[in-house]
Amino acid sequence: MSFVVRQIALKSSGEEIVRRSVVDSDVLVIGRDASSGIHLPDLAVDPRHARISALEADRLLIESIGEQPFIVNGRSATSAKLDLAAGAELGFGGHRITLAREAESGLPTFTVRRVEAVSESAEAIDIGSAYTLQKLLPGKRLSAWAFAALMLIAFLAVPIWSWATYAPLALQKDARRPAGIHGDTAWSSGKLSLAHKNLDNDCQACHVQPFVAVRDNACMTCHEDDAHQHIADGARLMKARGEPAGFAGFQRAVANAFNRPAGRCVECHTEHEGAGAMPATRQQFCTDCHDGLKTRLSDTKIADAADFGTAHPQFRPMLVSGVAADGKPVLQRAVWNNGLKENTGLKFTHAQHLSKTNGIAQMVRRRPGEFAANDAGPRDGLGCKDCHQTDSGGARFKPVEMEQACQSCHSLTFDQIGGTFRTLRHGQPEQVVADLRAAYRGSVPPRPASLSGMARRIPGAAAQQSTAADYARAVRFYPVKADQAVAAVFSKGGMCYDCHAVTRGGSAATGGFSLQPVAQNGRYYNKGWFDHKDHRKSDCASCHVKAATSNDADAVLVPGIDGAGGCRSCHVGEGGAKLASAHVKEPVASGCAMCHEYHMDNGAPWKPADKRKGPGLLTAVWDTGRSWPRHPPTAR
Amino acid sequence: MATIPAPAAKPASTPPVPARRRTGATRERQTTHEGFLVHRGGKWIKLSAALATALILLYIFVPLPPHHFGSSWLGYTLGTVGALLILWLTMLGMRKRAITPGRWSLKAWTSAHVWLGVLLIVIGTLHSGFAFGWNVHTLAWALMMIVIVSGIFGVTAYATLPRALSANRYDAEGAITEKQMVEALRSLDRQLHDAAQPLDSECAALVGRSLEQDPFTGSIINRLTGKYPGDATREAAGELRRLRVHRPRIADDPLDKVDALLTRKEAMLARLRRHLRLKGWLQAWLYVHVPMTFALIAALSAHIVSVFFYW
Repeated sequence: MSFVVRQIALKSSGEEIVRRSVVDSDVLVIGRDASSGIHLPDLAVDPRHARISALEADRLLIESIGEQPFIVNGRSATSAKLDLAAGAELGFGGHRITLAREAESGLPTFTVRRVEAVSESAEAIDIGSAYTLQKLLPGKRLSAWAFAALMLIAFLAVPIWSWATYAPLALQKDARRPAGIHGDTAWSSGKLSLAHKNLDNDCQACHVQPFVAVRDNACMTCHEDDAHQHIADGARLMKARGEPAGFAGFQRAVANAFNRPAGRCVECHTEHEGAGAMPATRQQFCTDCHDGLKTRLSDTKIADAADFGTAHPQFRPMLVSGVAADGKPVLQRAVWNNGLKENTGLKFTHAQHLSKTNGIAQMVRRRPGEFAANDAGPRDGLGCKDCHQTDSGGARFKPVEMEQACQSCHSLTFDQIGGTFRTLRHGQPEQVVADLRAAYRGSVPPRPASLSGMARRIPGAAAQQSTAADYARAVRFYPVKADQAVAAVFSKGGMCYDCHAVTRGGSAATGGFSLQPVAQNGRYYNKGWFDHKDHRKSDCASCHVKAATSNDADAVLVPGIDGAGGCRSCHVGEGGAKLASAHVKEPVASGCAMCHEYHMDNGAPWKPADKRKGPGLLTAVWDTGRSWPRHPPTAR
Repeated sequence: MATIPAPAAKPASTPPVPARRRTGATRERQTTHEGFLVHRGGKWIKLSAALATALILLYIFVPLPPHHFGSSWLGYTLGTVGALLILWLTMLGMRKRAITPGRWSLKAWTSAHVWLGVLLIVIGTLHSGFAFGWNVHTLAWALMMIVIVSGIFGVTAYATLPRALSANRYDAEGAITEKQMVEALRSLDRQLHDAAQPLDSECAALVGRSLEQDPFTGSIINRLTGKYPGDATREAAGELRRLRVHRPRIADDPLDKVDALLTRKEAMLARLRRHLRLKGWLQAWLYVHVPMTFALIAALSAHIVSVFFYW
C-alpha cells in the first residue's frame, strides 16, 4: 500500500512550500526519528510515536507505538480508526496532520503542517513592552484613578453622608448617635478631652453647621448652668482684649474672613488635643487682656498684670482691722509693705518663743516628749508646729487654739483643792471674775494654830483674843481679796494680760475690765491661691522671715511679692523671666494659672490631674464653730 | 532621565588635567554632562536645604500655641504652601513630556521637583505639628511620605542602576541590545530543537519544556528578585546531567551538544533576567509614586474639605 505525505513549510514571506513524497509500505510510522514515514522534527513527539496501517479499503487504523497519546479530531487517543472518505485531523506535538484522499491518485494523503513555533521565544515578542512591568502590574493610570476614587469615597463622601444623616441631632443635649463606626470620625484630628469623652462619636454636637466654625450655642446646649463668665459683659471682655494691631490684626482679619469670629468659647477651650484632662490655661490667655488693661478699660479697678517675674503688681493682703459688734472680723485690703500691721487683739512674741537660748528654750529642753515638733530633732526650743497646725486640706493653718497651743505653759490654774487644780475658763471673762469671787467667798483663810483648843498658848486671854480678833477680821474681809485677784489677773503681770489686749471700761460682770475680741486671719490672699502643702519641703522661716525677730502679734508675717522671703525669691515668670534685682537660686516657672483661675472661686486653680500633688485639695475650713467660716468648703 | 542630553553647561568641577598628547587631545573622556541632581551647581538642593533650615528654626522659635499647630498662622501657611507645592510637583508628569532647554529646562524642572519634593517632608511634617492619629489628616501625611520615599528610591535607582544595567549588557563580544537578547535566545532555542532531535522521548520532553517556557515568564516578585524557582532550562540541564551520569560515554553523544546549548541558554537567560530585574527596579517605584500621588491629592482634598466642613 502507498501513502502520500505532503510536508508544508512556510517561507518568511508567508508563502507555502509543499514537498510531496510517496511512501510505499504497509505501515506508515509517525515519529521524530528521521527514518519515519512521516518525520516530525518535534521534541514533543516520540522517535516512533504512532503507526498507521490499512484496515480495509477505505479505513485506516492508527495506534500509538509507545504509550504516548496523540490527538484525533481534537480528542486525545492512543488508537483510532480513520475513515478515508470522511478524512481526519491528527495532532502530534506542534504539528497538525490532515488526512484526505488525493484526488488524482486516490491514495490516502497526509498533509503535515507545523502549527506551533519551535520554541516560545520564537513567537512574536513585543520588545517595547516585554522589558517593562506593564503586564505584571496594574497600569499606573488605572491604579491612580482607583486609589483616588477610594480616598474620595472613604474620606469625603462617606463622612459627608454621616454628617447629613445625623445633622438633625445637633443642639439637642441628650441626642446621641447609635454606637458603631461613623464616617466623619475619620476627620477628627485628635481625641476629645476627658470631659467630652462621651461626645467622641457625636461630631454634630459641636459642629452644628458645615463650614461654620463652632459657635457658643453648641457649648451652651449642655453648659447652660455651669458655663462661667469671667465678666458678665461679653462686649467689655472684647474691649479688654483691645483691637489687635500689626500681625495680630492681620490674623484677626483673616480669621474673620474665614468665618472664625473672636471671642467664642472654643478660642480658649480648644478640643481634639488628645484624651485626658483639659490643659491648664496659658499665661498668654490672661495677659492678652490684663497686660495694659487700664489703657483699654480706664474704669477698671484691676491693676495691670503680665509676667509674674517682671510685671505683677504688689500683693494686696486682706487684713483684720478689728472685730465688729456681731463678732465677725472686719477685713480690709491693703498693699503689702514690710511694716504692715493688722489688729488681732492678741499679744504674742514670736521671737521670744522661737529663741533657742532663753528660758522658754530651756523649759522645752526640760520637758522631753511634750513638744511634738521638736521631739524628733534636737530639743532646743519651740518650733512653728508646736502652735500652728495645718487644716485638713493642708493648704492653710488652723487658728491657734489657746487650749492646745498655749495652755501647757500659760496655765490658768488659780486654786488647788486636794490634788485637783482649778482653772479659769478661757474666753469667758465673766466666768473668770465669777470663779475668782466664788473662790474667795466660799473659803476662809487658814485658821491660826493658836486658836485651836489644845494648842499651847501664852498665859492669859489677851493674846488669844487678839488672835481671834485678827482672824475674825481676816475672815470678814477675805472676799474683798477677790477684787484684788481679779484686778491682778487682768492687769500687767496677770495671766489674761499676758496675751490679751485689756482695757478698762468693761461691765461690772468683768470687774470693769474689757478684753478685745480676738480675730486670727485664716487667708491673707483671697484673689490668688497659696497652698502650704506645695511648700512643705521649705522651712517656714524661708518665707516668714520676720517670725524669728518680730515680737508683735499684729505684725503681718506673710511675705509679699518681693523682698526677703517674697514669692519672687523662687517664682519666676512662665518663660523664666525675672527682675534684675531678684536673686533666684532655684527658679520655679509660674504662669498665671498657678495661683489664679479664670473661673474665680475660693478654691485652688484648676490643674490637670497629672500636675496635681497629693489627694484632692480641700480648701481651708475652720474646725471649730467659734470661728468664722469665710470660705465654704469646696471639694476639688 | 539621567541620560537626557543637555545643552552644554558648566561642568560641576574641573577634573584633573591628564597628560596631553601632542595633538592636544587627551585620553581622558571629557564630559560636559551634569546630572539633574546637581543641576546649576546644586542650585535647588541648596535652596531646599536653606528653606528647610529656615522653616525648622521658625517652628522652634516662633511663639505659637502648643497644640493645634496646624491651625496657627504658621500652620495654615505651611499647609497652603505644601498643598500648592504638591500640585506643582505633580505637574512634572505633564511637563516631562515636553523636553526643552533653557532656564526652565526639563532638567531644571526635574532638579526642582526632586529637591522641593524632599523639602516637602519638612513642610508637611511641621504642618502636622507632630500630631499623628488614625484620621484623614495623618493619612494625607502618610501618603505624602510614601510618595516622597518612593521618589527618593527612584532617584537612587536612576543614580545607581543604569551603570549596572550597562555592565550587564557588555561582555567579551561587546554590547548586546534588548532585541539581540531575544534573538540570541531564539537562536539557542532553534539549535536546541535541532540538537535534541535524536534524543529519546524522556530527554526530548525535558528539552521541550525548556523551549516552551517563555523567557519573560514570572511574576513581579520573580522579576524584581531575579529568582525563578522551577526554571525549565535549569531543570532540564540538571536532569539531563543526572541521566547522563549512568550512561556509557560514547563519541558524538547528542546529549553533549544539548548540554552545551542548555548551559549557554542558561547563561543567556541569567543575563536577560538580570537586565529585567534592573529595569524592573528602574520602573517599579513609579508604580508606587504615581498612583500614590493621585491618592495623596484625593486624600489632601478630603483633608482640606474636612477642616473647613467641621470648621
